[in-house]
Amino acid sequence: MSAIFPLDFATDEVRLLSAIVIGVFFGFALERGGFGNARKLAAQFYLYDMAVFKVMFTAILVAMVGFYSLAGIGLVDPSLMWVNPTFVWAQVVGGFLLGVGFVMSGLCPGTSFVAAASGRYDGWVAIGGVFVGTFAFAVVVDWFPGLKALYEGGSMGVSFLYDVFDLSATNFVLIIVVVAAAGFLGAEMVERAFSDRFERLPLSPVRTRLTPRLNSAFVGALAVVALVAATGWAPNNGLTESVSMNSISAFEVAERLIAGDPELLILDARDSTEREAGLIPQAYSVVINEDAPTVLATAGAATTVVVVFSEGADSIDVPSSWPAGPIYSAMRGGWEGWRSEVLEPQIAGSYDAEARALAARKAQVGAYFSGSVIDASSVAAPPPVMSSGGATRRKAGGC
Amino acid sequence: MQAKPYWNPYMAGALLGVTLLATFLVAGQGLGASAFQKRIVALGTAEVAPNWTTENTALGKYVADGANPLRNWLIVEVIGVILGGFIAAASAGRLKATVEKGPRISTRGRLVYAAGGGVVMGFAAALARGCTSGQALSGGALLATGSWLFMLMVFAGGYSVAYFVRRQWI
Repeated sequence: MSAIFPLDFATDEVRLLSAIVIGVFFGFALERGGFGNARKLAAQFYLYDMAVFKVMFTAILVAMVGFYSLAGIGLVDPSLMWVNPTFVWAQVVGGFLLGVGFVMSGLCPGTSFVAAASGRYDGWVAIGGVFVGTFAFAVVVDWFPGLKALYEGGSMGVSFLYDVFDLSATNFVLIIVVVAAAGFLGAEMVERAFSDRFERLPLSPVRTRLTPRLNSAFVGALAVVALVAATGWAPNNGLTESVSMNSISAFEVAERLIAGDPELLILDARDSTEREAGLIPQAYSVVINEDAPTVLATAGAATTVVVVFSEGADSIDVPSSWPAGPIYSAMRGGWEGWRSEVLEPQIAGSYDAEARALAARKAQVGAYFSGSVIDASSVAAPPPVMSSGGATRRKAGGC
Repeated sequence: MQAKPYWNPYMAGALLGVTLLATFLVAGQGLGASAFQKRIVALGTAEVAPNWTTENTALGKYVADGANPLRNWLIVEVIGVILGGFIAAASAGRLKATVEKGPRISTRGRLVYAAGGGVVMGFAAALARGCTSGQALSGGALLATGSWLFMLMVFAGGYSVAYFVRRQWI
């Protein structure tokens, strides 16, 4: 299955239009969850209403399980996603400060827009405060070298937790689901323990006898989806399904080269030392995961892409970064196959006219590519058969 | 209209999660909020001091190559958030010009805290390259390392000063 996500928009305008639709849903979900209300948000830090934790982790679980499942079946190409780069110290210190600001204003930057939209003056004031803080940071970051070092320090590039813990993405997703489920149970217990000490927040959803069961059913369903995704959809645990390359003989490649086949594209995937042994005409020297996709951008569905490695292998997977469409074939035997079949063909004598014709052709092809003189003796007829009866002889040119 | 109670948090979270997943699939990125302020600040300073803005460590990237900082997915998304928040509040009878606060603080005191908290958050979001939406929620769902560090520290920061600002809330 080829990746269709993230979507590739025809124009930037259409992409921007999608933002307003998604933004409306974002704002709607936040308001319905009570996140336009600073009191409800701040209650998270006094433990009598854990809605912040519950809403946030439910959202993370849904999006995470959905994303990694779709990546597992190859519908979304993770390499095209923008992922927040990791700057350890900037994010540790920035996160702590944001938490301090959060409990002071009772809002975070996103929820302050929702609070403002629903008429809360504290929301408007917080939005203004964020403007001031943003400007202040921009001014002082270039004044204090220490702050700039903090801002740029601890850079790890795009880093994923499952790589840090050296686990597969799917196993890590499963672990997060289990941990979050335990977190939800804990949050419910904490809420119950502290609810008697505080006045109930206005507009809190009414808890019915069914609520706990619905909640567990929801977490259970997510866990099942994650489990299915981990075991069924992504058996290779890479984020792509693997497709093996076909194989093609070096001799066939040579013939198609001579015929000037326009639908033939040869990628030489050997490294530079291996290439010193010789080159194959018209082959592109590529590095599989770097420049190969660029070369392959020109290949159509009818193109036969022949990949030459230094040696042959039984089964080679098509790299996930390569476009779907062309037929990918590995040259049988790799460079060794080219050398032994095309450049230095071992030509045995044969009584069979067809085999002799093929041998003659191989010698011609070999001469064409190696530049050597055709060794006539190698295609000479074998010694005549002693007439001892029973030897079948085919008529040349027959059938 | 009588104000309706909020949704069950797991239901609101599920809708938020589906929205976030749709964002990944449609836009190839996550949601955001504080980018709104960053980009508008960049636009403003670029008007007044273009060279300073281009060379600024925090704002330079928004105006690089003469780009218009407002022509951005997140800016449009935040306009949608305001719209969506308004629709949700209006349709549930929760549209109300008021200040949310605990019983023991004056409206004025509460607004000072809200503004002060906003300043701290603006500084923090600029430092961390994102806020609760862009880092904790979006980067969290993609399992980005820095986003999870950020998220844990938001809770750590909130709990560690909650005691000192309790008069505002309880």
